[in-house]
Amino acid sequence: MSHLDPGAAPAAPSDARIPAFDHLRALAMLAGVLFHAALAYSPMMHGFWPTAYRAQSPWIDAIVWCLHLVRMPLFFVVAGYFTAWLIVRRGWGGLLRQRLRRILVPMLVAWPLVHLATSASTEWALDHVVHPSPFLSMVKAWLAMPDPPGMPPSTGHLWFLYYLLLFTALAWVVHALDWARGFARTVRITPTRLALILPVLVAPGFFLTTAPHPAPESLFPQFWALALYGPFFALGALLLDRVDLLLSLRRWLWPGLLACVLAYVGFLVQLDQREVADWARTAPWSTALLQALVAAWGTLAALIAGLRWFNRPRAWMTYLARSSYWTYLLHLPVLFALQYVLLDHALSWPLALLLSCGLTLAICLLSYELLVRRTRLRDWVG
Amino acid sequence: MTRELNWPVIRLLMIKDWQLFQKQLAAHLLGGIVALAFLGMAKPWAFYIGSLLLIILLVAVACFAVSTSLLVERKEQTLAFVMSLPVSPLDFTVAKLAGNLLTFLVPFLVMALFTAIIIFSTPLPDGLVVLAALVFGHVLVAYCISLAVAMQVESEGWNLFAMIGSMVLINPFLMLIGQMDSVQSVLRGNAVIWPAPALAILGAQALIGLACLAFALWSNGRKPAFY
Repeated sequence: MSHLDPGAAPAAPSDARIPAFDHLRALAMLAGVLFHAALAYSPMMHGFWPTAYRAQSPWIDAIVWCLHLVRMPLFFVVAGYFTAWLIVRRGWGGLLRQRLRRILVPMLVAWPLVHLATSASTEWALDHVVHPSPFLSMVKAWLAMPDPPGMPPSTGHLWFLYYLLLFTALAWVVHALDWARGFARTVRITPTRLALILPVLVAPGFFLTTAPHPAPESLFPQFWALALYGPFFALGALLLDRVDLLLSLRRWLWPGLLACVLAYVGFLVQLDQREVADWARTAPWSTALLQALVAAWGTLAALIAGLRWFNRPRAWMTYLARSSYWTYLLHLPVLFALQYVLLDHALSWPLALLLSCGLTLAICLLSYELLVRRTRLRDWVG
Repeated sequence: MTRELNWPVIRLLMIKDWQLFQKQLAAHLLGGIVALAFLGMAKPWAFYIGSLLLIILLVAVACFAVSTSLLVERKEQTLAFVMSLPVSPLDFTVAKLAGNLLTFLVPFLVMALFTAIIIFSTPLPDGLVVLAALVFGHVLVAYCISLAVAMQVESEGWNLFAMIGSMVLINPFLMLIGQMDSVQSVLRGNAVIWPAPALAILGAQALIGLACLAFALWSNGRKPAFY
């Protein structure tokens, strides 16, 4: 947090960009593509997901919710790290310009385009798909009503950009009110304290929402999302000159992962035992705590593993890191269009998942190569 | 006294006011995010707290903007320092007015924008946007009155009276709107219709606000010296 307070005493040099964080951000975003693709084959999401497929597997649920609990916390840690990095290198004015160019403008441009593309493919599916998903059938029934209910406006899968802007604003609040200095004076962060406090800090976020947690797509900030992702963003800012915290935790990587697996199994058991009526209710404390353990320790484990195995610049990782933003912006309409087409083809779920995920990635990377990499768009979304 | 405005110094004075206002602005921004989060809970009690918090913030922004740049500055005798700069009373008045309007209007317009988004994107009747415009208009007028009084009168007591008095008038103002059938019928509907009395009030608010600012500018700008 000290980098939100430029007046604080300078610590370790933080100018050097750690490649592992770029690579981890790319992996977190690409994990999002896999996550959204896999939801079509999840028995748990069968009734709610627009592209829910006829072939499903409980293995999908056993894997994707773990991915879900770690990928966005990891993304926000990396986002917090780069926010602090930008403040050190370019100051608040530079950060503001970067946020306008790289987040606000792409969000405002992509938002209607993504919405239009997704709506168009859904309308096509409503007219042409012979084996619609339960969600499509429900939409069809809605549309047949004389006065069909409208959907409230939402940020869709671009919600993470909205929250990045919110967290940037909150980081400025922390800086302007001089809270970072006070925090640094009163709390001395040690590796053990970090590992123990982080799950406790994020648990209220899980407690305030349903389990598994949804995407905070509302146009209004959601308390649970601020409480859940805020501590991860702050952790990222803290790590700018305290990467030693992660290095000290290295010996706990495997025991920590084992604890994560056990907590995750407990979480799955609790999910399995829930009644249908519990779906809309906020998570009980025990479920929230188990999720907090998985999210906190899983994210720390991913950071430690990233620093250990992904810290060397590699051409293909750099390429993925540079294309991941564009890929993530574009992936959902492409994925939905492909999965709507697949609804009428009887395939096994692994093949359908492989096809939809592989083709989506191929289309996104090809469009990155043709439209972004060598054009001015690179400065905005490259 | 020269009538040529010294824009570089005016700009610096505005930046100074903006920087002095940063702490308050940060607190208001935090309050605004909390208020929006309450509104986003989509529950009646949370909506009540969120909208109340937004009104409190609106009033607080107006009071703090005037207080930080004029009243506190006067108390700390910053004017003596400003007089050592190559500025005329007109430069100083323009800087104060523009700086104050900037510090107030940025959060004010952000809150107005989000209020409109709330009304149009939730099941609330869209006609409520008429009430919101009238309430925001009242706060804007109250702010203009407070600003004009603060620039005109040095007495802290009178300044506090102007601030509190003009803001508290929001209560009878809301009562007045509540008794106007033509406005009330619009507030419950989903169509955004601007009835004649509402337009008349908005026009009066704009006129009063502009008159206050123009008077403050004219009265202070024509002074040959600071004292």
